[in-house]
Amino acid sequence: MDANLLVEARSLGVRYGAKRALDDVSFTIPKGRVVGLLGHNGAGKTTLLKALVGLVKPAQGELAVLGMNPLRDRVDLLEQACYIPDVAILPRWARVADLIGLMSGLHPRFSAARARELLRRTSVDPADKVKSLSKGMVVQAHLALVAAIDARLMILDEPTLGLDVLSRKAFYEMLIDEWCDGERSVLVSTHQVEEIEALLSDVLMLNEGKLVLSISLEDMDRRFVALSHDASVAEQVAAAHPLLRYRTGPGTAGNAALFDGAPAEQVMRLGQRVRPSLVDLFVALTRRPELDRTQF
Amino acid sequence: MVCYLSNTPLGHPMQQTWDQRLPIYQQLADLLAARLLDGDPPEGDAMPSVRALAGRYLLNPLTVNRALQALGDAGLLENRRGLGLYVMPGARARLRASERERFLATEWPRLRAHLRRLDIGPEQLRWEENA
Repeated sequence: MDANLLVEARSLGVRYGAKRALDDVSFTIPKGRVVGLLGHNGAGKTTLLKALVGLVKPAQGELAVLGMNPLRDRVDLLEQACYIPDVAILPRWARVADLIGLMSGLHPRFSAARARELLRRTSVDPADKVKSLSKGMVVQAHLALVAAIDARLMILDEPTLGLDVLSRKAFYEMLIDEWCDGERSVLVSTHQVEEIEALLSDVLMLNEGKLVLSISLEDMDRRFVALSHDASVAEQVAAAHPLLRYRTGPGTAGNAALFDGAPAEQVMRLGQRVRPSLVDLFVALTRRPELDRTQF
Repeated sequence: MVCYLSNTPLGHPMQQTWDQRLPIYQQLADLLAARLLDGDPPEGDAMPSVRALAGRYLLNPLTVNRALQALGDAGLLENRRGLGLYVMPGARARLRASERERFLATEWPRLRAHLRRLDIGPEQLRWEENA
């Protein structure tokens, strides 16, 4: 295995009975990346993240996380990979300081001093009881505890779900500032695509168990072309078969179209090339058939 | 083909709004250059770290690296081995010179045309803010 690859999945398949939760999923995560995992509810995001930490047994394919088999080497793996599941809770009766003590006893690579240092960034005091904290503070405390583990991979399943905008910002600030050091990688699933787009180096998009896109943001900007254009040329743009047409907000030409690969020169001349946004690409690639019948 | 109403270009309260027409690293470089012009940080001082900037602007560290690289290429920052990036002596003067050039070449003709259209002459322009 390439030592620079923290995750390597080849033709990964997971079934729940007759349902294919993941189907032929292949991707890699090198070190030093911030990878966004996007998909509608039920697309397979949580299943994929669980498979990475050995909580789900793949029916097909190969999976190596930090060079280990997650099912077989789960205990060793969790020493070097942190995971916050979407259903994560901290015991309500405990004080934050108790949790630091607990983690020190449980986890060989956990640093209590580091956890206290990380908590100082937040408004959480080690003497606070979990039940006295707001939802945003609980998530911050949880991140501080997990980020105090000297690990190489952080796996976060919908970490900011239900948090207000300031708590989400504080969460990601701490993640980027305290965790990402160019060697460690983060894999984070979310629905708040537009919020974290600029944070990501790569994106994985799941649609009904299939990986429809695995690309770096840099390559995405090269491969996908968004053309901002006036309503008067809408028909000519549509004739060039874009993946998606959409209306854009005030201060823009009002209309835009998204192409996979640059369309012909005469089409490009109808408008102005802009950066494709991840949300628009997400809508184009993961549409659900029943929602696909609206026309301009 | 799908059609829907996009609200992305309106930006989001969580972060700096980035213009869709330019690469984000370029916009960050412009933003940092504008702060350097205001003396933040002053010449000879250290730039904030990549991680601090990435946290502040909620950007991927690779994007921040590219922006700092661009400022280095423009002769505004220097890499002191083992210490990080520092603001070059003379960076503000150089920035001001290139900003003046850009203003006179691109912004002033537009502004002049606008003033003519509105029939505003030099005698109507007050230079003291509270006059």
